[in-house]
Amino acid sequence: MPPVVDAKGRDLRSVSAELKKKIAEGPVTIKGAAHLHGLVAGFKSGEVTIQGNAGDYLGALNDGATIHVLRNAGNYLADNMTHGLVVVEGNAGYGAGAYCYGGTAVVKGNAGDFTAVMNKGASIIINGNVGDEVATYMLAGNLVIVGNAGKNLGNYLIRGDIYIGGEWESLGHNTLLAEMGESDLAKLRSHFADHGIQADPASFKKIVRKSEKPFYK
Amino acid sequence: MPPVNGTFCVTVMKDRCINASMPGKCATCVEVCPHDVYAIDDSGNVYVQNYNACVGCRICAEFCPEDAIRINPAESEFLVRSPWTFPQIEEIHYKAQTGQYQLRGFGTMGSYVPSFDSITIVPSQISSPPPRDKYREECNMEVVIGEGTCEHPIRLHYPFVFPAMSFGALSREARMALAIGAAQTGIISDTGEGGLVEDETWLIKGFENKERTLKRWEPGGYLVVQWSTGRWGVSADYVRAGDAVEIKVGQGAKPGMGGHLLGAKVTAEVAGVRGIPVGTDALSPCRYYDVTDPADMKHMVDLVRDITEYKVPVLFKLGPSRPYEDVKACVEAGADMISIDGMVGGTGASPAVVTQGVGIPTLALIPPAVQALKDMGVHRKVKLFVLGGMRNGLDAYKAMAMGADGVGFGAAAEIAMGCRACMSCSTGKCAYGICAQDPVLRSRLIPEEAGNRLANFIKATAEEVKILTMLSGHDCIQDLCEEDLRAMDLNVAAITGLKLVGYEKRLPWWENGRAN
Repeated sequence: MPPVVDAKGRDLRSVSAELKKKIAEGPVTIKGAAHLHGLVAGFKSGEVTIQGNAGDYLGALNDGATIHVLRNAGNYLADNMTHGLVVVEGNAGYGAGAYCYGGTAVVKGNAGDFTAVMNKGASIIINGNVGDEVATYMLAGNLVIVGNAGKNLGNYLIRGDIYIGGEWESLGHNTLLAEMGESDLAKLRSHFADHGIQADPASFKKIVRKSEKPFYK
Repeated sequence: MPPVNGTFCVTVMKDRCINASMPGKCATCVEVCPHDVYAIDDSGNVYVQNYNACVGCRICAEFCPEDAIRINPAESEFLVRSPWTFPQIEEIHYKAQTGQYQLRGFGTMGSYVPSFDSITIVPSQISSPPPRDKYREECNMEVVIGEGTCEHPIRLHYPFVFPAMSFGALSREARMALAIGAAQTGIISDTGEGGLVEDETWLIKGFENKERTLKRWEPGGYLVVQWSTGRWGVSADYVRAGDAVEIKVGQGAKPGMGGHLLGAKVTAEVAGVRGIPVGTDALSPCRYYDVTDPADMKHMVDLVRDITEYKVPVLFKLGPSRPYEDVKACVEAGADMISIDGMVGGTGASPAVVTQGVGIPTLALIPPAVQALKDMGVHRKVKLFVLGGMRNGLDAYKAMAMGADGVGFGAAAEIAMGCRACMSCSTGKCAYGICAQDPVLRSRLIPEEAGNRLANFIKATAEEVKILTMLSGHDCIQDLCEEDLRAMDLNVAAITGLKLVGYEKRLPWWENGRAN
């Protein structure tokens, strides 16, 4: 049984200090942490399980740790992550996977508005629906949405690929529908197998950018 | 109404003019000018027959095949043609031809912005503490940032910083020069939002090599890493690389907008540091996508402190908006220092209309910002630095006497490195290699030489502050106060709340402390 850090009634500093000590010895579980914002930020290694819900900014600047949330996560999940894996069994709030440079973030439920905004290289996989303005100004990486999306999907997409299994309310500026190729199908199959997602890659649509310089000519 | 006459000087450069060497061969200026400024005699010689008739349309200059004609205003165009000055006309032409608005570098230009030049310093005489001897006595200029809030507060040798100027906007060589200059003077160099040039991390500490075995410069400076709305090059390692983390909310040159780096300057090197495709425009968002209410900002500060293990100060940078409320919000979020950047502040690229016409003058930001700190009981504890058009020791002294703890030199630092304020920063064609990414232009900037120039500038400016501090009766910059200043006109007295020269009192609505 991994050691358990009880975060109830404690502040970020004290929980973080205890977590850093214990994680050096192996996986750690945290409970009672829904009130903490910025938990497990900037870790380079280790494995952390959050029992129950997680607050905002969970796994911000994650640089190699594996973080598993057993219920829901707050806003800004894995904000600016560079390496590592973050998995949420439930839903995530606003801005999941914002500003990431690398790593993988998986939300088994739904995610909110501005998911994957300014993604610069991570793989962000949402097994449910997402809100509006998703993947705004995405510059690299992959976004996979198994369900539906809201308005302005991929607004001012610069690079990277968006894959969507459901429908969208509207596509954003500078987006194009593209043909799915074998490499795209293989990529989706791999992601789905890794994270236990039941979906058929062949039914997905691919969205790419129209121009790399949509602002100033 | 007829055009105003006699307002232009017509110059024909004879060494270029075809007609001057071959009379009768060219008379384009005669043909195109509808006002008979030029004439041609029987021998085919063209001459200016009536310069008083010139209306400044410049059609002769535009059509001259040898570019031999210059039309310059005899009086300032602001006196005789405002608002339709030549720059304004050219701007409209540009938009009409291209369908795009103008972008440029630097900050607000022109003398209409209220400035520190309208403030004078009150020297000591007989009724106040005597002046101190600049040549034989000491003056304390140290500023400490983050005392009591972190393990490693910053102790600035002088009350100055090199504010945020990003790699990308600046060349790698300019970034290195700023680090060397800061290392020699014990002050801050701020990375700006372009990520980190690795060399800066050892140069700033005075080492000339990565292994940090060769120490060249004392006392060593401080590297501040900026955390911005674009998060270019940001990672946990980046955040931990600094002696402080600065959270950028805005900047003086383009408040309400994010950073601009145009594709022409996004080379492979810049793209590699920022993590974006080569040649794409790097346009930072105008706001944080991961902050939707004030509580989020506090949480962001908390996570930055946690990632840096509570070792370093957290700074904020504000653009010129509502200084009282904005400073209060930064204090509530947990700032150790707040830099407030006035509308005169510069940039590498911004829409010209924003740079020229948006924001609050630097001068006018200080009183409400200081009042906010005082009302919250943290003046001199949470440090306030003023940026935006700071030029010399006079400006620095005045800002500090108004309540700031220090100032930043951005444009002045670039000028110290060799800049001539041509405002072409956004094009990447900086002739001095400061704002260029072209390797040929960059080779003109030698980091150590430029770093030495920066250090010279800082030291000379510090001496100016010392002179002014001591002649006004103080031996510590923290003792400077508003009583050491006088406003020289009603406008500045109204804006700043300083006593008006002659009247020797504050204007009535300032008498009770803060204007309503």
